[in-house]
Amino acid sequence: MKTRRGRGVPHSTLERNAETGSKSIGWTAGALSLALILSSSAFFIPQDYLLALIVCDIVLVIHGVCRRGDFWILGRVFLVQLVITLTLYYLIHGQELLLQGALAVVRVLLAFIPGWWLSVSCKPEQIGEVLAWILPVKWAFVIAASLSLLPTMTTEIREIYQTQSLRGAKISPKALRDPRNWSELLHCVIFPLLIQLLKLSKQTAMAAQLRYFGKHKRRTHWR
Amino acid sequence: MSLLELDRVSFRYACGERFILEELSLQIEPGECHCISGPTGSGKSTLLKLIMGVLSRPFDGEMTRTGELTLGLVMQDPNVQFIRQSVGAEVAFALENLCVPPDLMRAKVSSALRKVGLFIRLDMPIEQLSLGQKYRVMIAAQLVFEPDILLLDEPWAQLDNSGVEELILVLSQLKRDGVAVLLVDHNPKAFSELVDVFYHMKGGSLAAGCLPAVTVEHLVAAPVLLDNCVVQAEPFEFRFIDQAPLFKSVEPLAIYGGEIIALIGDNGTGKSSFLKSLAGIQADIGKLPLTVLGKQAKLGVFGAEMGLLLQVPNRQLFEETVLEELQFSLKRFGLPLCRAEQLLSELELSHLAEHSPHKLSYGQQHMVALASLACLKPKVLLLDDPFAGLDAEYLNRVWSLLVNLSHGGSAILLTSHRQMVNLPVTRYWHIEAGLLRCEYDRSVTQTLQFG
Repeated sequence: MKTRRGRGVPHSTLERNAETGSKSIGWTAGALSLALILSSSAFFIPQDYLLALIVCDIVLVIHGVCRRGDFWILGRVFLVQLVITLTLYYLIHGQELLLQGALAVVRVLLAFIPGWWLSVSCKPEQIGEVLAWILPVKWAFVIAASLSLLPTMTTEIREIYQTQSLRGAKISPKALRDPRNWSELLHCVIFPLLIQLLKLSKQTAMAAQLRYFGKHKRRTHWR
Repeated sequence: MSLLELDRVSFRYACGERFILEELSLQIEPGECHCISGPTGSGKSTLLKLIMGVLSRPFDGEMTRTGELTLGLVMQDPNVQFIRQSVGAEVAFALENLCVPPDLMRAKVSSALRKVGLFIRLDMPIEQLSLGQKYRVMIAAQLVFEPDILLLDEPWAQLDNSGVEELILVLSQLKRDGVAVLLVDHNPKAFSELVDVFYHMKGGSLAAGCLPAVTVEHLVAAPVLLDNCVVQAEPFEFRFIDQAPLFKSVEPLAIYGGEIIALIGDNGTGKSSFLKSLAGIQADIGKLPLTVLGKQAKLGVFGAEMGLLLQVPNRQLFEETVLEELQFSLKRFGLPLCRAEQLLSELELSHLAEHSPHKLSYGQQHMVALASLACLKPKVLLLDDPFAGLDAEYLNRVWSLLVNLSHGGSAILLTSHRQMVNLPVTRYWHIEAGLLRCEYDRSVTQTLQFG
């Protein structure tokens, strides 16, 4: 193994780090506020202004994709939701209200995009730090830790889905066109996923506790 | 005076249950390394949690700590302990909680990383590190608050050989600095140059010495069915799209019915991804010149003819009883349900048939997950690191099941990050220095003739 003699950290570097840290906290606070405003607007904004909101969200998507975010995950959920909602609208209301159904799904997507963009463009610990300004430290930690776990959970859900598909579960996109198979998805993918989530959250809580989380009411923050 | 002393400590998880720790005594001095071995469920991890003070129930006996004793624990799987996404933020987490001023953190974090031999950027995403590096980041995340005792839960099972060597160097330096180390592991011999005192768990207490190394005995590999080639591949480069090759295979590959092939390689060499590619579920890999059962690999095309067991196999359990878990795939593929009961009987697990799979021990869950695939009698069975965390008893049971399957004509490809001796495998495939090299052991299969 390599060994190297220890070096001190120059004072100017520390100052520069602190300055960069403050700037990025300012950016995170701004991004969090923007995401909250845009997400809530998706539900409350009148239809006449919806186009403006769509333009704002497109800008966020472009920025998120440039930051190596995977928008296709959200896109797939949107498409599935669109198909299911339009089918139900068609069956219940007929052809006339299809546009209304599509608009409802678009609003849900618009509500999700700012949250996705926030998770792509800001570090979870900095989101936690900003949230701790207005929430109890433990709540802020839970939200930040949940955001940190998102990539792990995405991998988990994909691997559980693939494993159960190989075991013969009727959960392929084609099989799921039949609503009778939806319970199979719930039963053999969502249920094991929830068990994994519970285990993971318990282990994360223990890992945090063992590293003195909760020892003091206020915490300092890594810059 | 000892840093930590346990005097006749007893503990159980619920009233009326048996004591998992009984009259256990232990003394740890500065700079000492203690290693405890024992089968799964014998109480090793419980002992670590008791020492750390995170058990929810009280214990009998006495635990004495010296003054302001600080303890650091690295749990079995480092991946589930990461709270942050970058190396610096992760190591600094304890400092934040201890209210260390931000200007002092960077120096302390760099110093902790240097102690574990990691010279990487502080903003490096943790997901880009190898498992060995992640393990060292997790140790650094403990060292940053300068613990007096460092506790490690089964590091050998997680790390490849080079990872274990790196860990031994790090721990040796810590010992010289006066830090005490308490290891629990199934394979204590791997740390013999480091350990001062060996124990093994016996009836909830500690007995001196360590258990013999885990071996697989009395199993003979099946004859290879040379007329039944189930996997064929032309030379290829295995790489993620737009990335450098993980490894190259310069000669054609073939797997025959009845074979058990062990694919050996360090952590991060691409073993798991290759297995997923054979099952047709690995994204971001270009088209490979290989066929499985005469088909291009794709999710859903193999039906009951292929089984894949990914790491942490208890993730796939979801039914209410063990029997239903085994019968799930049999129902979906229209196969006889009686196979489930037969297999449970062969595995001597019939008494668990009506139990919830979620309440079983780790080893039992592992067996149930594997049995749920084995009862399909697949032509190709792919197993990703199927022995991780198993003790001697379950290791032998798993091998016995695999050998039985191979005698039935199944071809088995399994991965591992280290080569074990005297296994009933027909061939080893090694991934070393970016090359997939095929080896075949004539003493095991006299019948196999290649080329």
